[in-house]
Amino acid sequence: MIILDKLKRYGNSSLLYLVLAGISVASVLPFVWIVLSSLKPHEELYSNSLTFLPQSYTLVNYTTMFERMVGFGYYYRNSILVSFGTVILTLFAGSLAAYALSRFRFKGDQVVFLVFLATIMVPGEVGLIGQYELLSAYKLLNTLTGLTLSYTAFNLALTIFIMRNVFAAVPQEMLDAARVDGCSWWEAFWQIMIPMGASGLAAAGTLVFLNAWNEFIFALTMNNWTDEARTLTVGIQLLQGQWQHWDYGVLFSSVMLSFLPVILLFLLLQKTFMRGLTAGAVKG
Amino acid sequence: MSAVGDQRVTQRRGWQGLDNPYAFLLPAVLVFGMFALYPILRSLFLSFFHYEFLRPEEMGWVGWANYAEIFRDERVTGWPGIVSPEKPLSVWEIAFYPFLAVWLTINAPGGAFWNTIRFTVMYVPAAIVLPLVVAVLIERAGRLSTLFRTLNFIPIVVSVAVVSIIWMWIYHPEYGVLNTLLRGLLGRDAGYNWLSDAKLAMPAIVAMAVWHGLGFNMLLYLVGLQRIPLELTEAARVDGATGWKAFRMVTLPLMKPTILLVGLLATIGALKVFGQMFIMTQGGPGDSTLSMVLYLYNVAFRYGKFRFGYASALAWMLAAFILLVTLVAFRLTRERE
Repeated sequence: MIILDKLKRYGNSSLLYLVLAGISVASVLPFVWIVLSSLKPHEELYSNSLTFLPQSYTLVNYTTMFERMVGFGYYYRNSILVSFGTVILTLFAGSLAAYALSRFRFKGDQVVFLVFLATIMVPGEVGLIGQYELLSAYKLLNTLTGLTLSYTAFNLALTIFIMRNVFAAVPQEMLDAARVDGCSWWEAFWQIMIPMGASGLAAAGTLVFLNAWNEFIFALTMNNWTDEARTLTVGIQLLQGQWQHWDYGVLFSSVMLSFLPVILLFLLLQKTFMRGLTAGAVKG
Repeated sequence: MSAVGDQRVTQRRGWQGLDNPYAFLLPAVLVFGMFALYPILRSLFLSFFHYEFLRPEEMGWVGWANYAEIFRDERVTGWPGIVSPEKPLSVWEIAFYPFLAVWLTINAPGGAFWNTIRFTVMYVPAAIVLPLVVAVLIERAGRLSTLFRTLNFIPIVVSVAVVSIIWMWIYHPEYGVLNTLLRGLLGRDAGYNWLSDAKLAMPAIVAMAVWHGLGFNMLLYLVGLQRIPLELTEAARVDGATGWKAFRMVTLPLMKPTILLVGLLATIGALKVFGQMFIMTQGGPGDSTLSMVLYLYNVAFRYGKFRFGYASALAWMLAAFILLVTLVAFRLTRERE
């Protein structure tokens, strides 16, 4: 800060930019490096001299990956299915419940809301063992259905909390007008609340998507018996175990493919991502 | 809409009974009750039982025995032999425990609980201070602030699993970037076994976690900074407060709620740390990076016996600890207001 003081005096902010550029590079560099390294041939990666840009570009790591890492396709598919399934289910059930809790007074509304609120405070890891037992009893272990339901349940409270605030901001007159026009509450939900809360829904959706796409311990516990059931986070650490002593280049190409879609999605929907994550943080 | 309104009324008749708040709550309550609330309560229930998943016939009520075992478990407390496994804890031993706790943190004895505390104690201050500095700098960066914000935010959208694998390669003793750089700077013998040295493994993981969480905490601070009214900073400038002084007198006091929020979220996250250790070190070398969640995961699924009862007790003990921290933090915020 003392540095900043001086900066102001000299009317020069280039040092500020330099410091920020340095920090930003540190944030991004590991990912850039993985991308570049995945294009390097085996010999270059395992040589004693460090290179940043590849001396020779090759796609051999990617072809080897698709040939040898048979599970990778499954992991990718599963992560996509589970994440999108979770987002859809959570947003549907969560926003309907938020609608009920923000627009209606009924017996037990306070209790229901308090139970949801209380579980936000309890770390999800506490449910791990009970969940394993439950999914095992219903033959849902190592199924995408089981993992999706589990993720949905553990993301619901937060979604309800966010959407309740979003819906509370919708003017009551709009609902009343729709009712006068003959809408049922159900129709009013789809025609008024969903369009009015669209940006809130998008923010909650990205938060839930990130949670599901990046989740590790539940996926590791519930879906780790077969490649057909593993998601990317679990699969990639398994591949890491198998390939780290053998060929880092192939590993890099799989790592690169697993972070690329989320980073691209984030760059496209920055505002929504940031709104979703801050909304999720201010949950207490 | 009114043109087709009458038709709709007749079509809707069968559904009219469902057009009420209870029906709207139903999907959420069903899924939530079955797949979140039930497992959590089931774990609480199981924590009072001797229960190995593969031997359900031996299941039996043991009261607080699982919780008592935590205090005697060398892999949790890192303190062998002092409290013997055979005899139950006396009142004195329990009353003495807080003092023991302080002593043990200072002397860093290992064990899952103290490892977790060590991780938290190292992680939280860095996770509070560094992002604040970055956020304040970005606030002043003018037109480029969006770019810097975006770049710094990228790591947090990537999963702990992927980030851990990337950093394992950075820390790789032979081909890793870090050691290669050190060798270039300090000579051929420089470099460390970052993740297989009992002294270095935990700090190495902490450094990665701080890097990973920077963007998220920075964002929370930026939101907080935007809430500070411009008149206040202007008034401070008129009064002659600039730079560090303005930051200390105006920004810092007004940012206190945000700082507490960041600190609380960082603490909760740190106490639950799992993926980094599971992937990078498996809790090793020795037990030096065995965290609470990793240990309870191992007790439940790795050590072979599937001790669900004891693992549940470990989980609930941790939850109680986190809840306690949260309540203390809330009390702190309330006093401020």
